[in-house]
Amino acid sequence: MATTARTLPAERGRGGRTWYPVVALLLILLGVGIYAYLEELSEGMAVTGLRNLGPQGGATWGLYITFVIYFVGLSFAGISTAALIRLAKIDKLRPIVRMAELLTVICLMLAAMTIVADLGQPLRGIVNLFRYARPQSPFFGTFTLVISGYLFASLVYLYLDGRRDAAVRAAEGAPYRGFLRAWAAGYSDTEPERVRHRRASFWLSIAIVPLLVTAHSTLGFVFGLQVGRPGWYSALQAPAFVMLAGVSGLGMLIILAAIARRSLHLQARLGLPMFRTLGIFMFVSLLVYLYFVGVELLTNLYTGSVRERDVLRELLGGDYAWLYWSAIAGFVIAAALLVAWLAVQQLRTHIWPLVVAGVLVNLGAMAKRFLIVVPSQTEGQLLPYADGSYAPSWTEYAVIGGLLALGVLLFLGFAKVFPIIPLPEEGDDGKVVT
Amino acid sequence: MTRYGMSIDLDKCMGCRACMEACKVENSTPPGSFFMYVFRLEQGEYPSARVSFLPRPCMHCDNAPCVKVCPVGARYKREDGIVATDWDRCIGCRYCEVACPYGVNTFNWMDPAENTYLDYDDADVAAVTGGVVPPYRNPALEEPYGPEQRMIAGGGHSRGVMEKCTFCVHRVEDGLDPACVQTCPVRALTFGDLDDPTSAVSRAIQGRTGFRLLEEAGTEPRVHYVGGAAPGPEAREVDEPVTEV
Repeated sequence: MATTARTLPAERGRGGRTWYPVVALLLILLGVGIYAYLEELSEGMAVTGLRNLGPQGGATWGLYITFVIYFVGLSFAGISTAALIRLAKIDKLRPIVRMAELLTVICLMLAAMTIVADLGQPLRGIVNLFRYARPQSPFFGTFTLVISGYLFASLVYLYLDGRRDAAVRAAEGAPYRGFLRAWAAGYSDTEPERVRHRRASFWLSIAIVPLLVTAHSTLGFVFGLQVGRPGWYSALQAPAFVMLAGVSGLGMLIILAAIARRSLHLQARLGLPMFRTLGIFMFVSLLVYLYFVGVELLTNLYTGSVRERDVLRELLGGDYAWLYWSAIAGFVIAAALLVAWLAVQQLRTHIWPLVVAGVLVNLGAMAKRFLIVVPSQTEGQLLPYADGSYAPSWTEYAVIGGLLALGVLLFLGFAKVFPIIPLPEEGDDGKVVT
Repeated sequence: MTRYGMSIDLDKCMGCRACMEACKVENSTPPGSFFMYVFRLEQGEYPSARVSFLPRPCMHCDNAPCVKVCPVGARYKREDGIVATDWDRCIGCRYCEVACPYGVNTFNWMDPAENTYLDYDDADVAAVTGGVVPPYRNPALEEPYGPEQRMIAGGGHSRGVMEKCTFCVHRVEDGLDPACVQTCPVRALTFGDLDDPTSAVSRAIQGRTGFRLLEEAGTEPRVHYVGGAAPGPEAREVDEPVTEV
């Protein structure tokens, strides 16, 4: 056990040559983001590109809300992986469960911060959202189910799942022993403890599976329930949110797993069968999502109201067409790549088609989130206001860039002090047959 | 039981926008913020183009989408039918703004004290004000109103909060008409108790054909339009959007 563990990423100094420049770059990005947010705090949200709907011809929700949805979408990865392992007994995915949970936790924290960045009165928001909470508002679900329930469940899962590794690492005398001891909290890897742990994680994963659907649906309802917004008001909004969350979350997980495999030299542990499982799940989600897109397009083209068609026209051939068709192209190319990967013998032994597809669907997801949020506000007014426009300001880009950098930093920081890939258990010698 | 409402006679409205002006003075709204907005619309092509006007206050809906979505109850419906915004509780999430089908909400993107029509530091302006005339603010807007005693009157209060037409709640509670109604030179606007069949607003609606805006959205607006017609899909706004905050 000790020899296997020593090659694992928790060892300090591994990958040191590229680690420090990368961290420095991320810190700079984070600094710029913090500066931009401080400017927004002192000058007001006038420094963003957001403006009022109607007479002011702007969009009042823009890049921030786009990324709130994107971040929450990515968090899909953690719970789905945990559930697949525990409930569907897909043990192949076990090596990436911690990475997936970490991705969920970090993305939910980023989403919460992005919401705060979008509030006109952030301090008042943090107090009043608890003090005067109204369950009738679809936002209530975003704060309770998504940010609190989902995040809490994922943290508990991450904690329980990591106790054994913490105990093992602490016993080996790894760095940050105090932290590892605190995490292990007396765990000593005896058989009854293992059984109890396995049972606890099993029931926890059953408990959090409903969250998978409800939490992502809640965010869809924020948009889908608005009768006054053509392009939002649709019963398909919530299911489509869940599916695109699945596509982007699994895509991001594939990217992260590929990076870990390469940089930590874990070709054996993170083997092809695991990537194949992830790839197939992503492929199926992507097909279902594309089907939803088609259904929505057909319905709106065939029977949409005048305003509904106005918004659609802007998407298909107007100001937003380049973004719309790029997103669709990204999804379709990703799907085609996955078909080729499944069908062609020579491609099947590579993981690059999966990584490329993962990148494409994530870029597509960002674009699609933007296209859900913005055009309905600038082009979808029900009263005859002139068409509006919205372009994010550098402040918004900088804040989002800073948040993304913070996410990567948290990920790297965690990987530095804790085994990002679970230590092999008995009967699992770290070699997975490819 | 008093249930306030408004009627707008489109046969009388001539698009002078005096109501918009009166509203701005009464409610101290910053530039780019219009509690009352008058559409100037054109339809058809030359030589058969036609111009029409459509005043648009807040509709004070009985089934208000903005009230439903507010996460903190800053937007609420009063007993007397007025949809009010508590600017002291609003957190600035702007959900009401995207939920409203009428586009009546206006957000303070910057501090209203720094966002005035006149630059009071400008030499030419200072020559007139003598540096001693501050920007005018209606003092009645800083008081709490209604049985709930909440801060709901007027606009231009603080940065990062939502504001909208209040039916001039500070005037109505004193028994006065809203500023737009008071000012309209052709009495196109009428305000009063829709539950009282003898009130001015009830009489203005009675026996007239009319409509309510976007009734199909199920919002149950309390503003009734009489005369004229709802703008069709081919109606275009003549004015460009006001892009400064």
